[in-house]
Amino acid sequence: MNESPLTIENLTFQYHRRFEPAIENITFSLQAGQVMLIAGSSGCGKTTLMRCINGLIPHTYQGAMSGSICLFGKSVTGMGLADISQTVGTLLQDPERQILGSYVLNEVAFGLESLGIPRDEITPRVEKALDRLGILHLRDRETFGTSGGEKQKIALAGVLAMEPKILLLDEPLASLDPASAQEALQAFRQLADEGIAVMIVEHRVEDVLSIHPDVFMYLDEGKMVYLGDTDGLMDVVDYRRIKLPARVVLERARQDPAPVFVPAAKSHSGEDAELLRFEGVHFQYNENDPEVLKGLNFSVNAGDVIAILGHNGSGKTTMVKHALGLLKPTKGRVLLEGHETRKMTVAQAAHTVGYVFQSPSQMLFAATVHEELSFGPKNLGFPVDTIDKNVNWAIDTVNLKSEMDMPPLALSFGQQKRISIAAILAMRSRILMMDEPTAGQDYWNYQAFMDAILQMPGFDAVIFITHDVDLAVIYANRILLVYSGEIVADGKPQEVLKDEKLLRSCRVLPTSLLKLNMEYLPRTGRFFRAETLAHIQS
Amino acid sequence: MQKKSWKFGTREVVYSAIGAALYAVLSLATNWIQLPSAGNVSFRPAIVIPLFFGVVFGPIVGFIAGFLGNIISDLIAGYGLWFWWDLGNGIIGLVPGLIAVWMTTYKATKDIVWAEVFSVIGVLVGMGVASVSEMWVSGADINTVIFANFIPAIVPDLINGLILLPILLIAYAAIVKRSGR
Amino acid sequence: MLVTWRYRLRNGLMEKFDPRARWIFSLAFLFAVTMFWDARFLLFFFIIAFAWYFSSRAKWKETRRGWYLIGFILFMMIVINTIITGGGAGGVVPPGGHLVWPQGGTFPLFDWHFHFGLTWERLWFAICQVLRIGGISAIFLIIPYTMDPRVYGVTFRGLGLPDRFAYSMELAFRYVPTLARDFGTTLDAQRARGYEIERVKGGIVKQIIRIAPLIVPVTMNSILTGEDVTNAMDLRCFGTRPRTWLNKLTFHWQDYALIGFSIFMLVGAVIAIYGFHIGNFWVPYFWLKLAE
Repeated sequence: MNESPLTIENLTFQYHRRFEPAIENITFSLQAGQVMLIAGSSGCGKTTLMRCINGLIPHTYQGAMSGSICLFGKSVTGMGLADISQTVGTLLQDPERQILGSYVLNEVAFGLESLGIPRDEITPRVEKALDRLGILHLRDRETFGTSGGEKQKIALAGVLAMEPKILLLDEPLASLDPASAQEALQAFRQLADEGIAVMIVEHRVEDVLSIHPDVFMYLDEGKMVYLGDTDGLMDVVDYRRIKLPARVVLERARQDPAPVFVPAAKSHSGEDAELLRFEGVHFQYNENDPEVLKGLNFSVNAGDVIAILGHNGSGKTTMVKHALGLLKPTKGRVLLEGHETRKMTVAQAAHTVGYVFQSPSQMLFAATVHEELSFGPKNLGFPVDTIDKNVNWAIDTVNLKSEMDMPPLALSFGQQKRISIAAILAMRSRILMMDEPTAGQDYWNYQAFMDAILQMPGFDAVIFITHDVDLAVIYANRILLVYSGEIVADGKPQEVLKDEKLLRSCRVLPTSLLKLNMEYLPRTGRFFRAETLAHIQS
Repeated sequence: MQKKSWKFGTREVVYSAIGAALYAVLSLATNWIQLPSAGNVSFRPAIVIPLFFGVVFGPIVGFIAGFLGNIISDLIAGYGLWFWWDLGNGIIGLVPGLIAVWMTTYKATKDIVWAEVFSVIGVLVGMGVASVSEMWVSGADINTVIFANFIPAIVPDLINGLILLPILLIAYAAIVKRSGR
Repeated sequence: MLVTWRYRLRNGLMEKFDPRARWIFSLAFLFAVTMFWDARFLLFFFIIAFAWYFSSRAKWKETRRGWYLIGFILFMMIVINTIITGGGAGGVVPPGGHLVWPQGGTFPLFDWHFHFGLTWERLWFAICQVLRIGGISAIFLIIPYTMDPRVYGVTFRGLGLPDRFAYSMELAFRYVPTLARDFGTTLDAQRARGYEIERVKGGIVKQIIRIAPLIVPVTMNSILTGEDVTNAMDLRCFGTRPRTWLNKLTFHWQDYALIGFSIFMLVGAVIAIYGFHIGNFWVPYFWLKLAE
């Protein structure tokens, strides 16, 4: 058969109850063994395109579709989901959510079970799929207890067990730390080499470049802006919308005016400069479990903008939960403005530390944004007029005043994220602490958003957990490098991040921006974003 | 999309499962949180889950959420398996599910009032069935069953369910706008 | 963690049986025992129930909480049924009988005169209730400790439930730990905003409304999750063909024996009650002797 696995011509789709098409006039074809990368910012139509190919459109999502999609020369019109799924395998964004089995074996077997394949054929196929990804040893494990990287491979094995010829991957790197992301990418490349046509939708373009995709597509507002090879992409894509390698940004940003960024947190010394201190903090969930934190010592002072870097499961989140007293150390102590967290309630600690959780949907509940933002200050017992003042200030800061009477749950993800920050801002805590502040947002959104937060006055210190090294490079003035419950390094970004060997041993990978900054460091003396470096005289 | 009362496709399979798991988890979680003054008898917020899943996803989903959810929470608590009470909890979700097809916005006063009315009926019928079965199994008489089973069961269910159901419906109305289906 | 299953492998005799056979036995027991009010038969069932119960090797320390709850409910029911309400004990105990306090009595404090309708027959009935409910409790209380939650789906499929319902069960068990963790996260996220569930002031309505910051995000989040789960299942052909269940259950000789015994028990009960009219409520002679 010489037909290409996937041919799409003039594809246009509009969801019912929407007034504009989600994608328009998409035309391309994909060959066996190719890796294709589709990039674009939120709402560009990436997800819709995938749904058209895997059959969720029109089988689950309704709307008006025109144009044609052919799998190996055969039109998908009239094909059922079961037929399409055996040719097109799809890995959805969040592996945690799409894993359906309690055990790895059952999860991977799911599709084969659904197809009614005889039992004695299923097990060998499952084992083959697991083996292909090098995770055969997980076969009898429970899915719930596996790590993020493992979960993704398990979910992928579940797709591979159905032996698809085309693989669609929807933002497969979103929940992975850099080291796991690289492993996952290598696996995708290997599958392509085995003859599968691989289509990756991802806005972490720079990461995907490492496996040299064969074709690029750039989508903007539902239209195909670019289709071609890597080099061409670098010229057409807006570097502010899609994250490109730092060197490319450096070249392209020369023509544009330099960005203005003035962080607000000012360091000052004096009696009250020390806000938070960890003294020999050890922690374990149960006596029989291994220690999660193994003797942490550090303090946070006014003016600090700290990035906590480390791989998934290194204890970063456990650590910041101690700062707020959500967890209490099993040994050692944590002091907030001189008071031990063991002797205060979480509500009292919240006066000093405002902690923004990773996912906004895990905390938004109120009927209006106003009510949502008043919740914290009300709980802390602020007087009514102070609450109003704080709420107004907080909503102004995140620039969402127009949504004040909307239900937060009806807003877009990016807006929800800003509301969740504003909800903490309204409590006027002295330290702002954020867990993966950029997760789930595209490059453009998260840059704008981090810029805004760090330029807002009102905090004495900011702490954020991230596995995005660039975020630390651009925004932090201090870095805590964490590896399996210990602080491996603590210092200025240029001091901590210069040791590439140390970083790699902590499963943190240097990025092109970091490398570029290291070159410029003798001249700059500190780290900057690529756009700023572009305007530094060389 | 056309809503059908008794449809049981993939979506219904999923929401039955999630409703049941949620009902079980919330039942257990709110048993843990000890409310000092109110007394635990009247604090049973989890009951809103089968009511809500019924109103939103239809009678079968409501039934499984209540029935299976009650089974799972008893399994985790180690209380054993009490088929007739599980059945009663299933009915609590099933009856409000009967009006699922007539829901329009989920936040209109009309929608909320009907949801509440059917929830009351659901609680009365569901706990009625469970209580009556106690007469057959335990040999208790009708008065005993009313005072020892029926009333202690319906009072917290009604108070908690009727207060929390509108809150969840209004929240659901907000997220429904974002879904593309 | 918030949820842990009670089940673990104990190498008890009970685990030698197929879960389907165990369900059949448990249900047959329930239907058989509820036909009887004769203490001699009830004692027979009571002994079977506890033999079954102990074959599981579950420890008192594990099951204690369940027994306390059952004990409490049983106590309340029997006390109300026997002493307080004057009804006919489910229509089983014939009216009349030997009064325990034929003269009635007076409450010392209030000087109320009361007339107790309590009879020796109804006290005996209370004993029968203890035997009957105790037996049923033993059979059903032990289920969580002996049945792997992850085989419920395939078990009920094996008992004739349609694929979709059976899979719904399977999926529910899968999402319990995930949702429990989500609940914990939401609780932490709200506590970080100063929310203190343990310090709620105000009336009952206010207290219930105060649970909204927990229940709303957890529920809405799980509904959003459901969209993804539905897609994941559709994309892997769920429900398109009759499903293969990978976990296979096979009956062995002991399972046939147990099912045989269950049928014998049930049929025997029907014959005894409807054929020979034995097994109905009966008060032993010595008990009535006590009354005199």
